[in-house]
Amino acid sequence: MIWQLDLILLIFLVITALISLRVRDLLGASMVFGIYSFLICLLWAGMGAVDVAFTEAAVGAGVSTVILVATVYHTRRVTGGHKRASGMKVLSLLLMLVLGGVLLHASGDFPALGDPTSPANDHPVAQYYIEGSYQDTKVPNLVTSVLADYRGYDTLFETVVVFVAGIGILAVIGVPTARMRREEVCGDTAQFGEDSDLIILQTCRLVVPVLQLFALYVIAHGHHSPGGGFQGGVLFGASYILLALSGGLREALRRLSESMSFRLAACGIVIYAGFGLLCMALGSSFLDYAILDSILPGGVAMARSHSMLIVEAGVGFTVTTILFVIYANLATRGKLEGGL
Amino acid sequence: MSLFFDILAGSLMAAGLIFFVGTVTGMLRFPDFYTRMHAGGKGDTLSTILILLGAAVHVSEDFFHDPIHQWGVLLVMVKILGIAAFLMLTSPTSTHALMRAGFEDAHETDETVVDKDQDGPSLEELQSRTWEERS
Amino acid sequence: MELLTLTAQFEWILGKSNYWASTVLLLIGLHAMISKNNLIKKLIGMSIFQTGIILFYVSAGAKHGAQIPIVHYGHDSHESHDKAAHAAEHAADAGQQVAEAAAPAANHAANHAADATHTLGETLYVNPLPHVLMLTAIVVGVATLGLALAMVQKVYAAYGSIEEDEVLDAIADSTADSTVDSTVDRTVKGTPEA
Repeated sequence: MIWQLDLILLIFLVITALISLRVRDLLGASMVFGIYSFLICLLWAGMGAVDVAFTEAAVGAGVSTVILVATVYHTRRVTGGHKRASGMKVLSLLLMLVLGGVLLHASGDFPALGDPTSPANDHPVAQYYIEGSYQDTKVPNLVTSVLADYRGYDTLFETVVVFVAGIGILAVIGVPTARMRREEVCGDTAQFGEDSDLIILQTCRLVVPVLQLFALYVIAHGHHSPGGGFQGGVLFGASYILLALSGGLREALRRLSESMSFRLAACGIVIYAGFGLLCMALGSSFLDYAILDSILPGGVAMARSHSMLIVEAGVGFTVTTILFVIYANLATRGKLEGGL
Repeated sequence: MSLFFDILAGSLMAAGLIFFVGTVTGMLRFPDFYTRMHAGGKGDTLSTILILLGAAVHVSEDFFHDPIHQWGVLLVMVKILGIAAFLMLTSPTSTHALMRAGFEDAHETDETVVDKDQDGPSLEELQSRTWEERS
Repeated sequence: MELLTLTAQFEWILGKSNYWASTVLLLIGLHAMISKNNLIKKLIGMSIFQTGIILFYVSAGAKHGAQIPIVHYGHDSHESHDKAAHAAEHAADAGQQVAEAAAPAANHAANHAADATHTLGETLYVNPLPHVLMLTAIVVGVATLGLALAMVQKVYAAYGSIEEDEVLDAIADSTADSTVDSTVDRTVKGTPEA
């Protein structure tokens, strides 16, 4: 943790947060929010939170900016110029000052940053994860082993939340009649992006396969390096978004239609929960991978490692397809044609 | 020997920083959208690649001094050079995408990116307002 | 004396700077969610609020001079076997233990001493538990943002504005006007074309 870099990043973080809220052009506000996400990603990488930084770079700085821009495109671009009653603002400011005073006063009692003996770091659970996790699961990446094995229950429901968000977007802005027309139209043999720019099209045609391969690498190598199901899934979904941005949404939909997306997303959750039920069927409790030693090769620890890979693949399926569905619906106001 | 590596890495990164300062100055001081994007696109790509090369040289120092983790260090160097190659391909493309978007914005008044509101500002007002705020 | 207290004060500030920044970001985000007029600004405030929380948790788990939470396998797994005093499973392990028990051979002792600093018990690893919780938080945050942006698009399609006071006025007008049924979906008729 280089304190000089941390201090400068913190100052710029607060400045960019304030700017993104003050700028009247909403497109500019989205861009400054992307800058904010990248800065905080650097801060976390400096503090050793590499998995968190990876996810924030992919999700926060990448996908969040794209869906914000897609929404600004379909609503108003400029804001401001409206004078509303300032009573709420003054009340809110007072509330913030009080809350800020309380929190800052409480921070005087916090342990110093980076103290290895602070109560959060000294806790026996955290100590066990650091010391015993490799022997139990043979997975060097502690974050992946805790995420997919020790706290697998939380990760299952996180995946379900992502799936529910996809369904929710379909429910809120999905337009059924246009969708059915879309399914018919998708079957024709249109040329690849006849109205998109040549340079962007060809560069993206080079980049997308490499990106997808790298996404699969991140999912598979998440046991040994920063990565895992979420990061790889976001990268894979981003490759489809890139395909949609460069060649037109029709091209991306031809390769991954919306119905296939939801089927794959449901498959991801079925894989994850099905694995848990498999563990129950073999006699142990839900998501207790140790019992799978009887069907997976290599011993108890390797059985847990293999199971982690399979459930991460399930998570990857869901995150990929739902992110693409979120983008496709937001960019076209639910109609899945035209758009960004 | 390590001093040579340090000086080389440091000078590559310093050169990258100097180009970055030039890029930022250009983006702030040039009068027009196209000239600003020109400064931004070229300088951004070059300075990022120089900084990445400096990082690769700094990592390669371990390649000669640490006999145990040699292949690991080589892998890290290859990955950094891979990132530099990827940036060489995609950063000019994104500059091109931005400039083309700006071009289409300014010249195709019927199909603009900005949603034409009935009572919102027109595109020219929006662009001129941004320029006034800058100057 | 003065210089010492100045350094000590600076150390104290450095120890708290992340928490203060996290508090400031929380308050900026919360204030934006309450007081901003534009719906998208509210959502940007919500995202800033979420990242402020994540900064707090990650700062709670940070340690000075610690390794990233990826265990150095290979050499270290040997050492952890020795430290736990397991029975040797293969000849290499037995050979290492015998060499340890005897007077240390120069090469192996040097290796052993060099590897001793990388053992699980002696290397500081960053606390992985906050990272796991925050991974979940980031992904759930983007799912929430996507759904909220879909709702913003729906509000715009129904009422023609994303400024909160204009939307409230439109709702008040539509409910006050008895000939207009406010539950009718207006996306077909009243959608401003993009």
